[in-house]
Amino acid sequence: MSEVINIFENVKKSGRNALLEHEAKDILKILGLVLPPSCLVKSEEEAVKAFHDFEGNVAMKLMSPHILHKTEEGAVVIGLDTEEKVRGVYRDYMQRFANKEIEGILVEKMVKKGIELIIGSQIDETFGPVILIGPGGVFVEVLRDVVFRMCPCTKEQALSAIEEIKTQNLLNGFRGMVKVDREKLAEQMVILSKLAWEYRDYIAEMDINPIIANEQGIFPVDARIILK
Amino acid sequence: MTFNDIYVLKTIFLIRYLKNRMRNMSNKLKNFFDATSFCVIGASTNPLKPGGVVAENFAKKFPGKLYLVNPKGGEHELAGKKYPLYKSILDIEGTVDVAIIIVPAKYAPKALEECGKKAIREVIITTGGFSEIGVEGQKIQEKMLEIMNEYRINVIGPNCLGLYAPKLGYDTMFLPESKLKRPKSGKVSIFTQSGAFGAAFIDQLYRLGSGNWVSKFISYGNASDINEADCIDYLGSDEETKVILVYLEDFKNGRKFIEKVREISLKKPIMGIKANRTETGAKAGASHTAALSSNDAVVDDLLTEAGFIRVTTWGELEDCVLAFGTQPLPAGDRVAIVTDGGGAGVMASDMVSDCNLKLAKFSEETQKKLDESFPVFYATENPIDITGSATAEDYRIALEAVYSDPNVDSVVNLCLPCIPNLNIEEYIQITKELSKRKDKPFLTALVGGNEAIWGTEKLLQEDVPCFDSPGRAVRAVGLLTQYAKFLKRYNVNESPLKKQ
Repeated sequence: MSEVINIFENVKKSGRNALLEHEAKDILKILGLVLPPSCLVKSEEEAVKAFHDFEGNVAMKLMSPHILHKTEEGAVVIGLDTEEKVRGVYRDYMQRFANKEIEGILVEKMVKKGIELIIGSQIDETFGPVILIGPGGVFVEVLRDVVFRMCPCTKEQALSAIEEIKTQNLLNGFRGMVKVDREKLAEQMVILSKLAWEYRDYIAEMDINPIIANEQGIFPVDARIILK
Repeated sequence: MTFNDIYVLKTIFLIRYLKNRMRNMSNKLKNFFDATSFCVIGASTNPLKPGGVVAENFAKKFPGKLYLVNPKGGEHELAGKKYPLYKSILDIEGTVDVAIIIVPAKYAPKALEECGKKAIREVIITTGGFSEIGVEGQKIQEKMLEIMNEYRINVIGPNCLGLYAPKLGYDTMFLPESKLKRPKSGKVSIFTQSGAFGAAFIDQLYRLGSGNWVSKFISYGNASDINEADCIDYLGSDEETKVILVYLEDFKNGRKFIEKVREISLKKPIMGIKANRTETGAKAGASHTAALSSNDAVVDDLLTEAGFIRVTTWGELEDCVLAFGTQPLPAGDRVAIVTDGGGAGVMASDMVSDCNLKLAKFSEETQKKLDESFPVFYATENPIDITGSATAEDYRIALEAVYSDPNVDSVVNLCLPCIPNLNIEEYIQITKELSKRKDKPFLTALVGGNEAIWGTEKLLQEDVPCFDSPGRAVRAVGLLTQYAKFLKRYNVNESPLKKQ
């Protein structure tokens, strides 16, 4: 997996300890996770082309080493469904973040609504790399309904973690919402736990949040990896 | 040198090499318990001093060879036998398997070094005054570590009670028997980070029921060498240990401990307290994950996943010994409750759902029998309330009916003996008889005053579990069921707690 190490080393070389979202997502793709189609663009015309390629409904996220919390800094806009809106956001970003170093803009096909989940990892001082799973999204720290496993975890351990989530209703198709595919979710947890374990000398913390579970599958929509 | 000589020499070296390898491969603690010769360094002639107590313990109970070391020299008589007091362990001619060092901390490094020179590879250091008291003690402990590494000595302690194994006559607990009573041999093994907890719990087990509980007791103190992972590993492979009970405050080798628990809990139940639960460790990091990762949140999930039955109170630990030490595992989570008081039944039913259990729905046959046997004002559905009119015979009918019902996995037998028609002696007899069947968990709570206390004692004398409240009895069922569910999840069909 020298490809993964290459990404880490390049980030380190540029003096950063946090991967940009598209870098983190590249790693997830290398591991075989299915992500929403996306494209890192560097011009307005490229952004418009990506918009049409992705069936006219996209999110646009600014990739800058200076912006770690994109939502809070207004560097994420979702649900863009006209060319005008895409052009507008592009120009707005260029104007507002003119003094920031910009890697590009990640144009990403909108994922259909679903249940938001989190899978994350960190290094526990007693147990080494551990991984958590639970309901995600912006309220994750309010809900605190997460379950931990030691990395690397087996599929059985991942499945039992999913079973230990307290708000089981959320996973079982509450009020017509999608019923979460536990097998697939567990498989993603296993893959991410292996990542956290095998690259424990590099990765300090990881948040894959939200992971959206909908009728089409389970899609990591945002990813944050912090290096040691 | 002939060819034959070389051959013999080669064989000798090979045997030595293999012996050495075997020793290293086998668990460190096994070598301690397998000792056939034992030496007390710091053996006092004062029977109340720690060095005097341990010397006497071994003189009275240990079947192997005993040596005593005291720099004053001379002789000491114990249990009708005269022992020379060696001035140094190096003066002993015979071999010594295990030594215990009970001298003040500042003399401990010298004693340990002499053990090394004497080729003793297993040493227990009970003395305190090391890393737990600060920088000075830390320095001495580091010095000891150097010596341990140099001579490859395995150490239990310092700052601990050491080992107790009644069947082996092994007892390094330095508190005199007049103060700390010793439980007799049984199937429960215990290891503890805190010596004081260990001492009090051992004392408590002596007075619990028949007092026949303990197989091995290990108090490992500061864990300068042997730690919680070595303890669980050893007790997991020890044939005589059927139930493992743990008291921990932190981990020296958390990863290995969890991995061992996961493996061993499929063969025997592991339960206990991981204290120090305060929500530390969570930090405001760059990620949600870091913010959610308090130390105890992680510990709790990892222990549970590995099959560790975690309890939080001292009382629950005793309940664990009673439940796991005497009962079979239930086939499922369906509980039957029999009571003579409505309130007790309601509280027990609440606890049933709190413990993820279910109230059993009786078979038609059972229901018919109950309905035919009892007057209409008895509540014959679960929980069965045979009311203040109940007699001991009513209890017998109700308990036997639900006990024999295939739809019932566990039976909770509640009694408030203050009612007028209940003959407590008869009731106790009925409870004792039924508890002998051991087909399913059968747990009793006697609630009330003197009669309740009298009855509880009668039952416990024969190791029939009896508690002082409905909740405790149901919770004990909950713990047994939790373990049964864990085994089922991993397709373990043979119960580690067969009819006992």
